[in-house]
Amino acid sequence: MFWRILRKSITKRKSRIAIAIISVLMGASIATALLSVSMDVSEKVGFEFRKYGANLMVVPKSDIIDVGFPGVDFGAVTDQRYINESDLWKIKSIFWRNNVLGFAPLLYQVVEIGDGENNQNVVLAGTYFNKDIEIIEPYSTYDDPIFNTGIKVISPWWNVNGSWIENSSDNKSSMVGINVAEKIGLKIGDTYTISFIRDYEDQTNISYYDLTIIGIIETDGNEDNQIFVNLQVVQNITGLSGKVHTVQVSALCNNCPVDTFAYEIQGAIPYVDARSVKQLVSAEMNILGKIEDMMFLVTIVALLASALGVMTTMTTSVIERKKEIGLMKSVGAENKKIVALFLGEATIIGIAGGILGYIIGFALSQFIGMSVFNTTISSRIEVLPIAIGISVGVSLLASILPVRRATKVEPAIVLRGE
Amino acid sequence: MENHVIDIKNISKIYENNTRALDNLSLIIKQGEWTSIMGPSGSGKTTLLNVIGCLDSPTNGKVIINGTEITKLNRNELTRFRRENIGLIFQQYHLVPYLSALENVMMAQYYHSVVNENDAINALKKVGLDHRLDHIPAHLSGGEQQRVCIARALVNEPRILLADEPTGNLDQKNGEVVLKLIKNLHEEGHTIILITHNPQIGKLGDKQLNLVDGKIN
Ligand SMILES: Nc1ncnc2c1ncn2[C@@H]1O[C@H](COP(=O)(O)OP(=O)(O)OP(=O)(O)O)[C@@H](O)[C@H]1O
Ligand SMILES: [Mg+2]
Repeated sequence: MFWRILRKSITKRKSRIAIAIISVLMGASIATALLSVSMDVSEKVGFEFRKYGANLMVVPKSDIIDVGFPGVDFGAVTDQRYINESDLWKIKSIFWRNNVLGFAPLLYQVVEIGDGENNQNVVLAGTYFNKDIEIIEPYSTYDDPIFNTGIKVISPWWNVNGSWIENSSDNKSSMVGINVAEKIGLKIGDTYTISFIRDYEDQTNISYYDLTIIGIIETDGNEDNQIFVNLQVVQNITGLSGKVHTVQVSALCNNCPVDTFAYEIQGAIPYVDARSVKQLVSAEMNILGKIEDMMFLVTIVALLASALGVMTTMTTSVIERKKEIGLMKSVGAENKKIVALFLGEATIIGIAGGILGYIIGFALSQFIGMSVFNTTISSRIEVLPIAIGISVGVSLLASILPVRRATKVEPAIVLRGE
Repeated sequence: MENHVIDIKNISKIYENNTRALDNLSLIIKQGEWTSIMGPSGSGKTTLLNVIGCLDSPTNGKVIINGTEITKLNRNELTRFRRENIGLIFQQYHLVPYLSALENVMMAQYYHSVVNENDAINALKKVGLDHRLDHIPAHLSGGEQQRVCIARALVNEPRILLADEPTGNLDQKNGEVVLKLIKNLHEEGHTIILITHNPQIGKLGDKQLNLVDGKIN
């Protein structure tokens, strides 16, 4: 009978209930939207790390000269030991391998470019673009033994005019940083010659190599001043076959410690140092933390407004139903039964407001995602119970005072005229 | 002494605004008796009924109903005592607007103890409304609404029925139907206390009391 009374009191008083639901819904939708956005964005910030290159740099251990990040100071790489290309698969066979999104080896050579009059020194960087490498000893037998990786995988945001180098045995194509292309006056399709000294002992022995531009890169970073070719091209012209200078690793990770990655990579390849790019991460997290604080405040304000709305409607409802409450008491309802009826109503208002708020909030989160973060927000079903919980909580809290008022109604009013 | 269902000793009711609605009033009502209460407006009739119905407490004095001194009970005890002993019939019916006739009666069962749909239907049958079970109050005539109110009052089988101008809002024909029902309940042995302004109806009682300024005249 309780449910019957409750059901009827809700279904036959639609407009009152609707107003209360709308109040809850407004708070719940904002809470849902901001929760979805903040959950999603914090994950996407992990994705955004890659915008700054990798979040781990792997360098040979003996390299005491600081290698700048993410570009390289070319004075510093003239004399150092190397990482063996044949060890690179090990980066993908650590415990946290699934969080290793990709890596790109880099072998650098300073080259001269130009027609003899305004020659420029440029860093030629050999790397993988989009290469399937074999994981020789996978961490687990369930792991895919082939791993597709390269600079295109870890830096998909690169603004490339033209095309990427797709074939790893292509030794003619190059991708040129925009600053280089502008200074030398090169455009897509052009073929140009680089010159370099192969042996520092013999400065007169100059070698030449022809490259064709298939893409122009714009990253607003050091890449704009470099020329990118397949790793084997640089290995061939320098005679450093099977060697790389550094490896950039992109590890996607929200809560797992980047330091652990570094440590594991060092375990897998004992002669390297893996350095996390921590400052960058914490700066990002800092900004996100501030955005979250702000969202939290907005949510609290929205929920307070909801509570106020529910309180007003509930109070009106108690006043309107004074005779009904008196009647219930006069036929024997104790206060706890009256309380149960009103709190039951508040709970249902909360659940309905929570569900609707979740739906509207999701739409709202898309809007916020697009207009603020320029990204879509994925739907998160785990936000639904949170939205319902918050709504029910707000609705119940807001009902405390109105319900107290209901308990104070005197049954004697039933015998009094209007 | 045993057949004194209601024993009122020197009660006064002074409202918060210092209105003295009942003034040192004493009254004994016997088992199965029909008492009519009459008197001018503002003389304290409703106030007296409220006290007997355990809806309100007197400022002074003692009320004993069925051997229980209700003036010593707290609010919750009064509620429980009321639902076991008292049936109320109101001038304004006070039906819950969103519940059907049947549900209005069942609600009284629910707040009393347990719901029994058959008993509720029988109560409505008794007042001749078994063809209106699913009507909400807005879809019932005034007389029908008052009959639902009576069915609700008697469904829990209280021994005492209190009615405050039960026919006050009804035309003569409907009023007679309602009075006939009350007569039947009286014949079944219910103790009835009925407030009325109508001397004809007042005469139906075994006993008539005239209240003036909170005193029995
Ligand atoms: N809740 C209250 N607070 C203050 N005064 C009240 C209250 N209820 C009734 N009174 C006053 O007490 C007196 C008796 O009221 P009561 O309602 O008992 O009269 P009544 O005999 O039922 O009148 P009527 O025939 O008009 O229904 C009146 O003067 C009334 O104004
Ligand atoms: Mg009155």
